[in-house]
Parts: sequence; C-alpha cells; structure tokens
Amino acid sequence: MIENIEIEKCTSCGICDDVCPADVIHMEPAPRQARLDGLVETKLLPVIKFREHCITCFSCEIFCPEQIVDVHPSVKNRPRPW
Amino acid sequence: MPHLHGTLIETDILVVGGGAGGMIAALSAKRHGAHGTKVAIADTWMTGRTGHTAFSNAWMIVAAPEDDIDGITREIVAGNDGIADQLLVRESLANSFDRIADFEAMGMKFARNADGKYARRPTRGLDLARVMCPDGGGLEYCWRLRLALEEKGVALLDRLFVTGLLGGPSGRIVGATAIHSRTGEFHLIKARATIIATNAITFRSGFVRDITGTGTLLAYRAGAALRNAEFSYVRPGTPKFYFEGITFAIQEGARFTNAKGEAFMRAYEPEWADEADVPRIARAMAAEKMKGNDPLYLDMSPIPEAMRDHFIHSKVKWMDYFFRKLGAEANTDMFGKTPYYALNQMTKMAIRTGPDCRSDVPGLLAAGLAQSGCANHFAGFHIGLGIGNGWVAGRSAVEDLDRLPAPNIDVAEVEALHDEAMQPLRPAAQAESDRILRDLQAIMFAYDIGILKRADRLQAAFGKIEHLAEDFRELAAPHVHELVRLKETEAMLLAARFILGASLYRTESRLSHFREDFTERDDTNWLVWVDVEGGNGDTPTFKKTPIPTPLCPVTTMAVRPNRLKQHVAIGGV
Repeated sequence: MIENIEIEKCTSCGICDDVCPADVIHMEPAPRQARLDGLVETKLLPVIKFREHCITCFSCEIFCPEQIVDVHPSVKNRPRPW
Repeated sequence: MPHLHGTLIETDILVVGGGAGGMIAALSAKRHGAHGTKVAIADTWMTGRTGHTAFSNAWMIVAAPEDDIDGITREIVAGNDGIADQLLVRESLANSFDRIADFEAMGMKFARNADGKYARRPTRGLDLARVMCPDGGGLEYCWRLRLALEEKGVALLDRLFVTGLLGGPSGRIVGATAIHSRTGEFHLIKARATIIATNAITFRSGFVRDITGTGTLLAYRAGAALRNAEFSYVRPGTPKFYFEGITFAIQEGARFTNAKGEAFMRAYEPEWADEADVPRIARAMAAEKMKGNDPLYLDMSPIPEAMRDHFIHSKVKWMDYFFRKLGAEANTDMFGKTPYYALNQMTKMAIRTGPDCRSDVPGLLAAGLAQSGCANHFAGFHIGLGIGNGWVAGRSAVEDLDRLPAPNIDVAEVEALHDEAMQPLRPAAQAESDRILRDLQAIMFAYDIGILKRADRLQAAFGKIEHLAEDFRELAAPHVHELVRLKETEAMLLAARFILGASLYRTESRLSHFREDFTERDDTNWLVWVDVEGGNGDTPTFKKTPIPTPLCPVTTMAVRPNRLKQHVAIGGV
C-alpha cells in the first residue's frame, strides 16, 4: 500500500496520478508563497486521497521520475475461500 | 428541454477497454479499415498502463509455422472440456505468429534461442502449445502497443468510464455514454460499431485482480446474451503476495502439499498431477480442505537454490519491487510454509458472440476476456485469445461499417442514460460500497460456493445476494471516485446472480464448475453453452446452446502428455 510521497521534491509531473489504476492519488492545487507581491503561485501536488483502495501495484513508485514515492508491500483484509 | 452538459465525441469504431483484447481490436480496425477510419479506445484509467495485461508477464500462446496448429486446437478444446469456440481458437492460433511480427515492428523484443527461433516454453496443462513473452513483460507490451496506436491515429480516451450503451431507435448499438472518472463530466460517444473489451468481472480478489470491468453487463443490459457464467478462474495463491510463475515453479519441482506433508495432486490428477491446469488444482485444493487436510502449501523447496532468484526477482516489474521490499521475508514467504488457497480471481462470464466476435445485437462486438471464446484460458491464452479475438473483432467491426447505416441518436435515451449514471451522486452521502463488497466477497469466494457447489448452498447464497442487492439500492456516492466503485459493485452484484443461477442450471460437473450433487461430466446433455438472456431485466432466463464441433471431437485430457513422459527441467522464467 502507498505509504508516502516526498512532496518537497515533487516536480508536479502528475505521472503518479495518471498511472494509478485505483484513483488513489489526486493532483490537487497547493498554494505557494508568492514571489511577487499580490501574486499567488499555484502548483499541483499529489495527494494520497483514497489510500484504502491502493492495490499495491507499485506503478506510482515505478514511474515517478524523481523516485520520491514509497509503496509498502503490505496487504490487509484480503478475501480467502476458507 | 434537454439538460445535458458535457462532451460529444464521434468515431467510427469505439473500443471499450484498453487491454490485450481492446488494443489489438483497435490495431486490427486500423489495419483493415479504409484510410481515415476513426477508431477510439475508452478506458476508465490509462490505456497501456493500467489493467490486468499491463501488470502481467504478457505470456502468450503463439503457434509458430512448424507447430501443429490442429493439435494445439484439439488440446485447448479438450482442456476447456469442450466449452470453446473451435473456429475462433484455431483462427487465433493461426494468426498469432503474424502478430509477433507486428509487435517487433513496434519495438518489442522477443528472446531467441541459439538456432534463431523464438525462445518459447510449455505452459501448464497443455502438451503442444508454447508460450513466449516480450522483454519487459506486460508493461512494455502495453506501452509499445499504446505508442503504436497513437501513431496510427487511434484516439485514446483515457479516464472515460463507460456507463451505458446506446441502443438507438433502430435497435442497434450506436455508441456509449461515459463519465470522466475524475471529474464526472458526462460524455456521449457516437460510434458505428462498438467493441466491448473490458475484461471479465472480478470481485476484487487482491492485487491487480482488484481491477474489474463492467462492459459485459452493459452489453447484457443492451440486449446481448452472456455465457460461461458458471465457470471461473480460480487460481492457487496466497492473499499475502501475488506471484506469477507457479506454472514454471512446478516445472522446476514445486509441489502442492497438505498439512500432513503429502503431495496430493497425483491422487486427483493421475496423469498431470501438479502440472494440471488451474481448475483441476482448485478443485483438488477445495477437496483437501473439505477433508480437513488444510493448511495447504505450494512447496517450493525442491527448486534448486540457483534457480530461486528467478522467482524472487520477477521480470514483472511490480512484483520485482514487491519482493525486493519484502527483503528476506520474500525468501521465507516463497520458499517456506506459506498457506495457499484456491483464490477466485474472476468469472469467465462473457458476451455471447459467433466466431466473428459479433454479438446478437447489431453494432456490438466483444474482444479479450469479455468475449466468450473459452471457459478456461490456460496460462498464455488469456492474452493469446485476446490477441486472436481482438484481431477478429476489429476486422468484423470494419466490415460492419459498410453494412450498417450511420447511427441516429435518440436524445431521450441519452438523457435517460445520463440520469441513470449521475443519479447516485449526492455530496452528503457516505461511501459504503466497500461494505457491500466485503459481504459479496465472503459469499462468492467461499470454496463451498465458488468451487465445490451444491444446490442448497447455491440457493442459500442466492438469497444472501438478493439481500445485499436490496441494501445496495439505498447507497449513494459523495464523489466520482465512489460513483465509479458503486457502478462496479452494482455490476458485481448482477454478475453474482448470473453466476449462481448458471451454476444451478448446469446439472453436471465440467471444468471449473464442480457440482457435488452432479459429479460426472455429461456430454450427452451438457456439451452446451449456458446462455444468460434477459436484456433489461435483472432476472435472466438460462438456456442451452449446443456447442458446434466442426474441427475436432471433444475429448478429455486423460492421455498422458508427451512432454511429461520425458520431463526435463526447463530453466528460467
């Protein structure tokens, strides 16, 4: 399951959002401090929105160009036939 | 006054689902169509990156020119216990070698032996068939295909979740309605032919099998019949990790054992033992459980140390990451005592078509696992048949462009489908589909419902599903994420009804459908497809359709396979 994204190193490419087959990561606007008075810079940053639906496919970690996504190989509550 | 807001897309051929079957259907449509034929693929997430094919090894059964195609056809038909479209199976095999040339032209690399021939290996449960896969596995396969389709001008409509098929005033499918899977924006896609390639329904059994498709049930609601609902893909596995390579582990010496340490498969499958195909292993595992001989294991300890790295360091990228992160635990989990179960991966229920992949509904075709060509696909024929039937479906769809008139859209129908899609969306609601899903899984995964069946247990399960369906009607979705999951859960509930109903209807045992109260296979009465028909209603009718056997009689797999008579370990995966 996805554990963490090192947000401070994120370049906002959005690949993690694109490749997720479970709609877990959403790129969302995160306001940043203005460099010029009166102007607000908005950047899209990944938010782990639906962690509980992560299928542990590692796509976000595999395809992140900055290698800042950490997925843990743990799984919970998997159905069993007996 | 219409109240629709959204996007209108027009295309000639719409493919719903961007996996093995869908992408090949699109490729075929471009190949066979006149210059300028418009083809679009709609996928809920991202064609080429998401879906079962992308997460697989992409093993595919390929028949080389020197192979005995008729022999392979016979053994696949026999391995399906006769539940197979013989003509489509043979055509898929006959075309498979040409597809490899196409794939290499896209930049995929396939290993070759010293003699220059493709490096292929046997697959579980078959004697003559051979499988191969591209370097980089499913991720490379799907991505190269996507790039090739983009180059050919196929419109890749990512993040479009198809919610309904348009029947049109003339009773033919003229396109689909969809919502953007993130924004919820409504889309209307006009198409002259529509190919459903949305995979089979899964009940989210874990890892990549959590991804499921709803197209088969959209087709049913549009008037198409379904078949093979009583069969399923129940595969030995563990809930803790997903491991693709059991076939080769067994070829290297792994054996299924029970709590007493007995290698039990030979008792159930005297000729094939552990090399029997998944339905037969699943049945044996369930029988061992019923006898109280669990926990069951896949004993990998006979595999030589030098070979073990092949399984831990998987060529399937996500599995490689998984095992690397598990670290030392990977070795213990894989080669130690990890309980194994017969896990229900997905139903085999698919859309009824002819060998031309056309359904009974004009303008509606099927490909991949959404098409009912087989009830047991073996390792290598999920994609192998998907490539084959995808090719046929694309070709048939192009032929239909000339035969069928340009579509008219019934605005009232569009509005009705729009309202049906958006109706559950209520911002103040709670997201509760996961609760229904867990209860559904508990019913459908139970080994004494999904593997070892009996009339009274099936009836009891049916009653539980009906209660769940009642409960489900009250649910709403606070956001689009939950709306998509709600629709997928709705499809699972309908599928569960059909699976249980078809399982009750077929009073014999065959393949992955095993009735404790009808233990024998009965070709006299049951060499048939069980068709699920009913269209708009949720209460279907079940009927038999005799299976034609134009190419070969239906035999059993009892004959000892030639390659097992001189078993030689084949190294590497």
